[in-house]
Amino acid sequence: MQKKKLIILFVLLFALVLSGCTGAVAWPGLSTSGDVAYLAHTSTVYAVDLKTHNLLWSFSGEKAGFTLFNTNPDMFIVPPVTTTDGLVVIANANNRHMMYAVDPKNFSAIDKAPTPAVRWKFNQAKGLWIAPPLEIDGLLFAPNSDGKIYVLDLNDGMPEKQAVRTIEVSQPGKNESRLWAQPITDGERLFITSLDKAVVAVDLSTYEVLWRVDLNGAVPGGVALGGDGALYAGSLAKKLERFDPLTGAHQTALETKGWIWGTPVADGDNLYFADVDGYVYSYNTAEQRLNWEPVRPDASITASPLVVGDQILIATESGGIYSISADGKVSLWFQGKEKSKAYTTPVFAEDLTLVAYLDSDYYLVALDQNGKAVWTFSGK
Amino acid sequence: MKNPSNPTQAQRPELPQVNPRETLKTLAVIAVLVLAFMNFSSVIDLLVNILILIYQFVGHNFGIAIILLTALIRLATWPLNAQQMKGAKAMQDLQTDKEWMAIQKKYAKDREKLAQEQMRIYRERGINVFGSCLPMLIQFPILFALIPAITYAIGSYPLSILKLSKSLAAFGLQDVAALIPLNSKFLGIDMGLPERTLIFGVSVPILALIVGLTTFIQTKLTMPPANPNDQSAATGKMMGYYMPIMLFMFSINYASGLSVYFVISNVLSIVQYAMMGKVNWRNLLPGGKKT
Repeated sequence: MQKKKLIILFVLLFALVLSGCTGAVAWPGLSTSGDVAYLAHTSTVYAVDLKTHNLLWSFSGEKAGFTLFNTNPDMFIVPPVTTTDGLVVIANANNRHMMYAVDPKNFSAIDKAPTPAVRWKFNQAKGLWIAPPLEIDGLLFAPNSDGKIYVLDLNDGMPEKQAVRTIEVSQPGKNESRLWAQPITDGERLFITSLDKAVVAVDLSTYEVLWRVDLNGAVPGGVALGGDGALYAGSLAKKLERFDPLTGAHQTALETKGWIWGTPVADGDNLYFADVDGYVYSYNTAEQRLNWEPVRPDASITASPLVVGDQILIATESGGIYSISADGKVSLWFQGKEKSKAYTTPVFAEDLTLVAYLDSDYYLVALDQNGKAVWTFSGK
Repeated sequence: MKNPSNPTQAQRPELPQVNPRETLKTLAVIAVLVLAFMNFSSVIDLLVNILILIYQFVGHNFGIAIILLTALIRLATWPLNAQQMKGAKAMQDLQTDKEWMAIQKKYAKDREKLAQEQMRIYRERGINVFGSCLPMLIQFPILFALIPAITYAIGSYPLSILKLSKSLAAFGLQDVAALIPLNSKFLGIDMGLPERTLIFGVSVPILALIVGLTTFIQTKLTMPPANPNDQSAATGKMMGYYMPIMLFMFSINYASGLSVYFVISNVLSIVQYAMMGKVNWRNLLPGGKKT
């Protein structure tokens, strides 16, 4: 009898251990507001002072009023966004679909680390929050996986926000357009991509969809406004696509070796982007040609390149941060711990390049101008 | 040949003969288990590919794909389940066997002799002691691999899509870019997320409750009539309560696609038991166990 109980216990423990084999399903979100880095890592958002590299505060969501069955864990993966009124917008990617704005200057409770007070929250979305929102003139445009962009008024003083407008990006009778990337604007229009193989423009004066272009592959990254005035987006169909912002008229600018995951980055006439096969591209938008043959640092790339001075920095799945010169020479700039992974786009602030890691001893590393680690942050 | 004049041979009790066929079968199962867990990611890749092939075949419906995959797994493991049922029944019958009960009583204080006698009876009646648990064990890699397989395949989050692409690329069977993103909705439920239904302002995990209920019914229906003196029956009864609770708690937190797997698996298990004439419908009635 005792043996049988032990066997049952062993099987249950074994099942629990193996069921944990799914591992992480998303990478951390990273952003800065100049002197503070915000890191959304698994169940917590951390604010780290870039000068002192001390933890300023952390936020792990609000406890639900009625917690029975609400055990789906909090998941913070969306890069936090700082609004002009000084609040930090944080979105929870679990199935409660909650978005918060916290006040980093007022703390509601002090536990292990100070917790900022929640100024408002929004819970009308029906899908996961994967993309960061965009603030335009006191309005917050928050794209959701339910295919809608929720427009929130940042100045209405409401603690429980209601969307002032809801922009339906999905087409009637079709699957929801999962919106996974931050939109951009040219002042008159809002441009957004959809994982469901589309790029869409919205008129900011009417909130109507101006045009929609369906592509052959999913578009997990965002669009970039090139130096030539055209829009660029990469897709899983291994293509860099060019769009006319006014009409949506589009053509394939370049065929790539692998899926393009991250958002292309424009720097003057040059457009930098990478693919999941690990190649980095430099594309001249004015002359519509590659500046140099694609280079492959070492492993798969989902992050967008980061342009710092005259070098391009790129994070790879192997945990390496590579520096690419203007003429396409590649060199290893920094290597993360063994088995660590860098999927997130690095950010630059206070003369430091910040890199978020998965499967590493530390969540965040700050690198100086020579790629040397200045400090690390491990959530404490 | 025995020599009674040799005292060492006369005193040494006869060792039970090992059935080479049963031993080979046991070793084969252990080898499969070890190989499966050593190459766990390959098992996941295989399941992901089968799941996505079915998904394409049924017109991009993930719920139907999971149901068909469950049926496929049930069909593939049908002989194993049948063997498990037979093994369990044989062990159950043994508990009320006169000879078995007699040796338990006779050698109560001599564990070594009791073990030898038990082995003799197993051998004489063709019972494999692992007959009821080995077929169950061999299904574990499939069950454990299903959890990540469903999580990756649905791709509700960025990294799961990357893992899905690698799984599909490993077999090279399908045009990954054309497939992604998958339609993860089934009956209005996102198969990639834990299901909750808002009822009077309270979020209720309906699917997880159905998992618990069907597991309870399945355990009750397939439990043989209990002998009050049988200790294994008490363990079975205990499992009858633990399993539904455990699977309910499990289903609350995991992708609802997995809950669909559990429900369909339970229903098909009942069907298989019914087809083999081993369902105890009376167990569902109050006082039914006394029969």
